[in-house]
Amino acid sequence: MAKIAIITDSNSGLSQEEAKELGVFMIPMPFEIDGKEYLDGINLERDAFYEFQTNDSEIFTSQPAPQTVMDLWDEVLKEYDEIIHIPMSSGLSSSLQTAKMLADDYDGKVYAVDNQRISVTMVDSIVDAMYLRDKGLSAKEIGERLESEGLNSSIYITLDTLKYLKKGGRITPAAAAIGTLLKIKPVLQIQGEKLDAFAKVRTMSAAKSIMVNAVKSDVAGRISENGKYKYVINIAHTNNLEAAQEFEKEIRLAIPEYKGEIRIMELSLSVTCHIGPGALALAVSRVVE
Amino acid sequence: MPANVLDSKLVAKMFLAGAKNLESKKEYINELNVFPVPDGDTGTNMTMTIMSAANEVSGLVDGDMVTICKAISSGSLRGARGNSGVILSQLLRGFTKVIKEYDELDVAIVSAGFDKAVETAYKAVMKPKEGTILTVAKGMADKAGELFENGEEDLNVFFEKVIAYGNEVLQKTPDMLPVLKEAGVVDSGGQGLMEVVQGAYDAYLGKEIEFTANPGAATAPRKLNVEPQVEQDIKFGYCTEFIILLDGKIFNVKMEDDFKSYLESLGDSIVVVADDDVVKVHVHTNDPGLAIQRALKYGQLSNLKIDNMRLEHQEKVIKENERAEAVAKTAEPKKPVGFISVSAGDGLSEIFKNLGVDYLIEGGQTMNPSTEDMLNAIDAINAETIYILPNNKNIVMAANQAADLTEDKHVVVIPTKTVPQGISALIGFIPEASEEENVDGMKEAIDNVKTGQVTYAVRDTVIEGMEIHEGDYMGIGDKGILANGLDITEVTMQMIAKMTDDDTEIISIYYGADVSEDDAEAMRAAVEKEYPKCDVDLQAGGQPVYYYIISAE
Repeated sequence: MAKIAIITDSNSGLSQEEAKELGVFMIPMPFEIDGKEYLDGINLERDAFYEFQTNDSEIFTSQPAPQTVMDLWDEVLKEYDEIIHIPMSSGLSSSLQTAKMLADDYDGKVYAVDNQRISVTMVDSIVDAMYLRDKGLSAKEIGERLESEGLNSSIYITLDTLKYLKKGGRITPAAAAIGTLLKIKPVLQIQGEKLDAFAKVRTMSAAKSIMVNAVKSDVAGRISENGKYKYVINIAHTNNLEAAQEFEKEIRLAIPEYKGEIRIMELSLSVTCHIGPGALALAVSRVVE
Repeated sequence: MPANVLDSKLVAKMFLAGAKNLESKKEYINELNVFPVPDGDTGTNMTMTIMSAANEVSGLVDGDMVTICKAISSGSLRGARGNSGVILSQLLRGFTKVIKEYDELDVAIVSAGFDKAVETAYKAVMKPKEGTILTVAKGMADKAGELFENGEEDLNVFFEKVIAYGNEVLQKTPDMLPVLKEAGVVDSGGQGLMEVVQGAYDAYLGKEIEFTANPGAATAPRKLNVEPQVEQDIKFGYCTEFIILLDGKIFNVKMEDDFKSYLESLGDSIVVVADDDVVKVHVHTNDPGLAIQRALKYGQLSNLKIDNMRLEHQEKVIKENERAEAVAKTAEPKKPVGFISVSAGDGLSEIFKNLGVDYLIEGGQTMNPSTEDMLNAIDAINAETIYILPNNKNIVMAANQAADLTEDKHVVVIPTKTVPQGISALIGFIPEASEEENVDGMKEAIDNVKTGQVTYAVRDTVIEGMEIHEGDYMGIGDKGILANGLDITEVTMQMIAKMTDDDTEIISIYYGADVSEDDAEAMRAAVEKEYPKCDVDLQAGGQPVYYYIISAE
């Protein structure tokens, strides 16, 4: 049986340690902050990132240098036969495009997966990949399966502030002004390539109930078809752990039929960059079986 | 001996007399309002509704039955204001639907008309309540049916008995609606209806009445398509038209009303349409100079045009211009959605505009906009789908009626009953979402917000067991009075206490035109102290009548 390595990048939101624990390799995403280059999780920790952000530093994201990617692949292929490479959603970054192009030179040994995921649901797909690998599938088979399952997931994120959406040009200054005046909290949905406004409310309790109801309806509908498929629910946040833990208790009450684990993790810095601290997210993915 | 059949002339005469009689009793009917708030009043709303129809009818006293009926029906539908006005317009619509088929009316036809009127009005109300204008109308229709079946053929006897019974039912309304009993009044809408019927009956008996209806504030742009007048009928000789360029200067509803009443003192066929930065003016008068002089107070004038109508019949110039404009407007591509919202006060208007409202109808608390005002707003927005947020429970029906009367655009009424509900509904709108999702989302947003409004009592009354004295402050919630007393801060705090619970996160305070910024800040501080876990938000609403509009969510 071929020995298959799983590689992802830090858009999964995993820390280097967590990645090691899972037995996957992880490429750190580069950030340019106030003109200086940093690597996510290497010389840029979360707390430092939040501090840069609150201090209004100029933050830019970019994709990993091709050389970094190829160096890792070359290194990994000394020990493994094949690589399943899971970068962040092609809708949100061109990392996938680059990886695909680079993989052409690796004689089918590297499969770059285009499964439109990021953050928590990207982690779910890594778990899926591990499961499929243990079942004995090849890198190509795993990749194709992940791609066909890619859209069976959703993330709903409630933002605490409009400041960073405005900064990133995602909303107009006028919309940001009235939104800030009235303390509007947008609920965004990441689904496939799209990052869209899903709802807008004024209170966290209204936002939470919208996220819970959205996940419930996803479960009843396309993701699990009323329990026909196994699913996993996760919580994510940006510098908002206490609220996330509180939210977990509320979800247990609101969705008692879900008995599985609820992972609580921080959203990746690449997402944090656009939404700022204080956000709370709820995610659901179908589990591959 | 009064006639035993009614021809179109007599019907027109009776209708005008009914309208006139209602108008003369307007103040009395206003006094009957259960809620002693300085709010859109039943007498005023019904009068403005019926006067809109009377204005159309008064130009047509020689018209046939179909013409008269059409004027009564469409005039009142368009002029309808407030819930009682909308119900009255539906009664008239139902009644005329039957009688327009006949040249002469007898007991059988009038009785059938009453039936249809009641049927139509009940249908227009989502949850018909007994002890209201509907009950009074139904009582009269039932009595009319009974008399007809018992073979009554004398129209005079018929009218007399029907009216007597209507008054009897009216006197019983306090037994049907506890709030009326407590306040010690009969239903104001029912009283208004009886005034109309009584006035009509007086005219039938040949009592002296005046034919010309007082145009009043019900005059509106659509009224322009009056029948071409023949020369000897021309009372006011100069058709005077011009445009006022506001150039950023303010021209609010009050100024518009003042200006209109001034023009009414000079002549007739008055049109004053404020649109963005210009005001279009049209008046028939014998002294155009006075109109022009007055208009100069508001801004520079342009496109002046004065025609001597006695020499040439140039009537419909503005109408043609408007048509040309309408063509130009529709030539632009339609945007997918537009919003109409009703609010009063600079601060609130600003908030609504910033939330994406395309057309703000000023009014709401003190003046309920008519169906016609809504139709004008719908006309002015070039969009496929138009959402209306009435922001007042007494305007929802007029908005629904406007939606029903609109054919070329899709109009959706989101039944917001308070300003905070309107704000929350707008916040919840997502351009990318489907109409169905948005309607659900906006209605959910409405349910998530509690509103309280602080105002003063205009007279002594008892309501929901609370004794209220003229001049008291009252805190009114979504479902009734939450607090009252002599100290505005106490009343406000008591009201908020009843609106909030452990889950409340945001308390928003919109302070009115009669509250100073310092007082409002002090109120904010008091609320913040009482609710340390909540975000307390203060905005200058600038609304009249209501010192504070407060939401908890």
